[in-house]
Amino acid sequence: MVRIKILLAFLLTALGWANCLAITLRFTCHEGDDALKILKNLAKEYEASHAGITIKIENYADYGAYSQKLLLEYAANDAPDVAALGPEDFVKFARRGALVPLDALISSTPGFDLAAYYPQIVRACRYRGSLYVLPRDIAPKGILYYNKRLFDEAKIPYPDGKWTWDFHVRPELREHDFLWVLQQLTKFGRDGKPIQFGLVPGWPELLPETFAVSTGARYVDDYEDPTKILFDQPDMVRSFEFAAELENKRHWIPNKAVLTSVLQTDSQALFVNQKAALFMSGIWEVPGLRSKLMPGKEGYFDWDITSFPAYAGGKLVLTSGGSGYSILSSSPHRKEAWELLQYFAGAPGMVALARSGLAQPAIRAIARSDAWIPGPNTSVEMRYPANRLVTDQMVDAVEFEPTSDLWTTVHDLLAAKMDDIWMGNAEAGPALRQGTATAQDRLNALRRDEGLPEFNWLYGVGAGLLIVLALVGFVYLPERGRRSSARQKQESKSALKFLAPWLIGLGVFTLGPMILSFLMSFADWDIITPAKWRGSGNYIEAFTADPRFFVSLKVTLIYTVVAVPVGLLGSLVLALLLNQKVRGMPIYRTLFYIPSLASLVAAALIWRKIFQPEGGLLNSILYYPGGHGNFLGIPNWLSNFGKPGEPINWIGNEHTALPALILMSLWGIGAGMVIILAGLQNVPEFYLEASSLDGANAWQRFRAVTWPLITPAIFFTLVTGLIGSLQVFTQAFVMTGGGPGDSTRFYMLHLYNQAFQSLRMGYASALAWVLFVIILGLTLLQFRASRWVYYEADTK
Amino acid sequence: MSIRRSLIAFVLMVLSLAMVVPFFLMLSMALKTPHEIDTSSPWSLPAHPTLENFRAVLTNPNVSFPLFFKNSLMVALFSTLGVLLSASMAAFAFARLQFPGRERWFMILLSTMMLPGIVTMIPAFVLFKYLHWVDTFLPLTVPAFLGGGAFNIFLLRQFFMGIPREIDEAACLDGASNSTVFWRLIMPNSGAALATVGVFTFIASWRDFLGPLIYLNDPDKQTLEVGLQTYRTLTNEQWHLLMAGSVLVMIPLIVIFFVGQRYFIKGLVMTGGK
Repeated sequence: MVRIKILLAFLLTALGWANCLAITLRFTCHEGDDALKILKNLAKEYEASHAGITIKIENYADYGAYSQKLLLEYAANDAPDVAALGPEDFVKFARRGALVPLDALISSTPGFDLAAYYPQIVRACRYRGSLYVLPRDIAPKGILYYNKRLFDEAKIPYPDGKWTWDFHVRPELREHDFLWVLQQLTKFGRDGKPIQFGLVPGWPELLPETFAVSTGARYVDDYEDPTKILFDQPDMVRSFEFAAELENKRHWIPNKAVLTSVLQTDSQALFVNQKAALFMSGIWEVPGLRSKLMPGKEGYFDWDITSFPAYAGGKLVLTSGGSGYSILSSSPHRKEAWELLQYFAGAPGMVALARSGLAQPAIRAIARSDAWIPGPNTSVEMRYPANRLVTDQMVDAVEFEPTSDLWTTVHDLLAAKMDDIWMGNAEAGPALRQGTATAQDRLNALRRDEGLPEFNWLYGVGAGLLIVLALVGFVYLPERGRRSSARQKQESKSALKFLAPWLIGLGVFTLGPMILSFLMSFADWDIITPAKWRGSGNYIEAFTADPRFFVSLKVTLIYTVVAVPVGLLGSLVLALLLNQKVRGMPIYRTLFYIPSLASLVAAALIWRKIFQPEGGLLNSILYYPGGHGNFLGIPNWLSNFGKPGEPINWIGNEHTALPALILMSLWGIGAGMVIILAGLQNVPEFYLEASSLDGANAWQRFRAVTWPLITPAIFFTLVTGLIGSLQVFTQAFVMTGGGPGDSTRFYMLHLYNQAFQSLRMGYASALAWVLFVIILGLTLLQFRASRWVYYEADTK
Repeated sequence: MSIRRSLIAFVLMVLSLAMVVPFFLMLSMALKTPHEIDTSSPWSLPAHPTLENFRAVLTNPNVSFPLFFKNSLMVALFSTLGVLLSASMAAFAFARLQFPGRERWFMILLSTMMLPGIVTMIPAFVLFKYLHWVDTFLPLTVPAFLGGGAFNIFLLRQFFMGIPREIDEAACLDGASNSTVFWRLIMPNSGAALATVGVFTFIASWRDFLGPLIYLNDPDKQTLEVGLQTYRTLTNEQWHLLMAGSVLVMIPLIVIFFVGQRYFIKGLVMTGGK
């Protein structure tokens, strides 16, 4: 007996022990293939040396959407344990309490030296004093890649790091004046257009922003909690004007318009193709450059890096990127996650990444070691760029951009205005002032939202209870006073049992959610932090401050008004044709019906291919033969909307995208056809024979006999078609994402974006109710106006 | 007469072929090499049909199509089961049993038939968040067991009402309870209606995109629809692979259609004729 007890105790502890140790840590990141391989190897090494721990790496290929998706996962209680984050995206998590502050963990880990990390990035990973991200790499955004061959050609010595820049050319300094170098390295063709540029920046804002921070300009007043945007200040404007002059007037630098429209290339490609002598970006370009510029292969030229010059009237200041890892506060395995963090954002992880040249380590000692700096043991390929030590020196000049997530939101508004500058549509001064005004408004609105009072859910619960009571009253009040026999009571009880699943579902999945979404439509809620009361603010915002609201309504309504009647007509015609007693009717019916069964995603993909301008099915008919034909004169008419002489890009052109989707919707008319066909086949032969005996011709037979009898089927198809069209989502999501511009931004898509990408659940609920009211209204209208529908006496 | 008939037949042939051209395109591109796609006309048949694209899709290390298939199958099967059970139960109550408020409850049922999903989508998400059901299959299957869709209840009710009451009454005289009547008499006699509802529910669940999009984050848990979209974001626009993936997603749908063809047509007939 005792032995059994001991055995049991042993088994239980073993089970519990094993259970405790068998931990899976979820780890999210957004890396390219090369870095991902390295991370996976690191994970394997870690698992080998830490028994009982499994690491599940979840990589998001879509870099831009990564942090929003992660926030959504946190909101849904489905967050990972460790996530890759950086100065530019961690604040929106930290502000909502989603990240574990690391200072306490650091102080309780003996031997952990935070001072070994570059202080600049450590500072940038703090919010209100607490450290939330353990840095892994730092990436100063001021690396100038230079083409040695082009320097040799222009007889300019290679940059030695001593050069400076000023707002005017100083030819007396020769190679120590940045602008003089740019001027020398720009070559013009016989038509006066540049054939070689001095410098191409990785993205348009990089150059002016670097100029600006070097002259001491600030983006906002407080980089963690901004209240005032400073992009309209003279020092910022001057830098942008200067950059615009270099690009639009002197043409030493290509701007975005030139890159995308004229040259149709990107900045790295321009450097690789030797059309630009200098390329300004970050260290992350190195893998791409290494693979494209291999010694011995075609197109190779010798290249190296140097730092962006210092401002002559001051010092060198650079912006920077960087990344690291954080622990999500919902993780049940904080200690294990912290161990993992120290491995991946510590020496092992940094060395592995540094050796591959992918990322500059955030620990100074490692950045100075031969893991990063090429030495005698480094392979030929890994030697590039040789001047790696400069990356360490550059960190001293780094000042991170604002980390606040409010900044990231309003920065998009500014960026839209900045585009005007590069496109040559506006002067820097006015564009920046306008942009700042718009962005400041938005910032003020966002800050105002933070001060809203908290939502009192008690009122909501009370309202919900009232509604439920009203419903119950509606059902049972007429029944009061009715006496029932014992048997009737028993039948009622039995009925209740049969109805129970439906009733529960009604309450939990229909009525409850309806009430909740109604309440939410008056709140500002991201389902992480407590909800805030906004009153009718959401509705007012939709009708006055959200341009996409009316645009999406317009898009959806146009689609519905065109696609539904045309589709209905098509279904009717097909059904009439099929009803003509043709041989093999079931085969035709099947062929017409199957497309409406097709997976919407697969359909969207295949139609994308059909709509392709070159090599697409539709254009191969319209522009037959050989891409220059003119089928039925349609291509000539179409060229009014696109570039004349080119086959029209259906999905890529904002005038034709929506019509393309409408055309695609006609592919699914088979479903309606089957319904109407069934209605047609139900028309008794007897009636038709009788009327033809009375001398009616085909049209009169149709109008008097057939039509009335199929009106129920037509009405049904119409109503369901309308409700369906107003809620189109998948096609827009998969095929166009709402673009180009907003030409296919369907209402459901806008709603989805607001709810699941911006996490504005309250606002999205308001949008849902607006659509609901519209659908309800239209449906009721149709029923009211349905006297044209002929119902035979219902037989029960 | 026969000229008219052959003209109609001709028009129908042309139209129906036009309808299936996209499928032809999908299949032919799935069998072509990427080089051939870029260089040949979209109308051409593959010069050297290859199954290489399918192999590449099925062996991709980051997404597993077989897993997507399994997930879609599980979700669809459970949903169908849930709908068949709970919708028929409710339909039985409405069709056969007397209880106070029956007409009014039925009105409520009818009014929920036209409820657009958007008003309940967001709060349902909030509910599932608090239940910690996000990134599981539960949000996609459990609602099927609780009511199964007003439309299905309505359909089955109409059908049940067409079964002669004498059968019920005979059984009741023999002392059968409502439960017995339901399980032993009504359900076995409703094979056609149940098959129709089942087939439609299965297909609807298979084609559902928004539901799995919101509730399934882990690529290992995704269904075919969302999985195909995930695959597309990973491979950019490599048509040969995308088309192979699309064909894989379409095959089950076509198979289900041919197997349950009768019920499709019958179901559409029943719904439209109401």
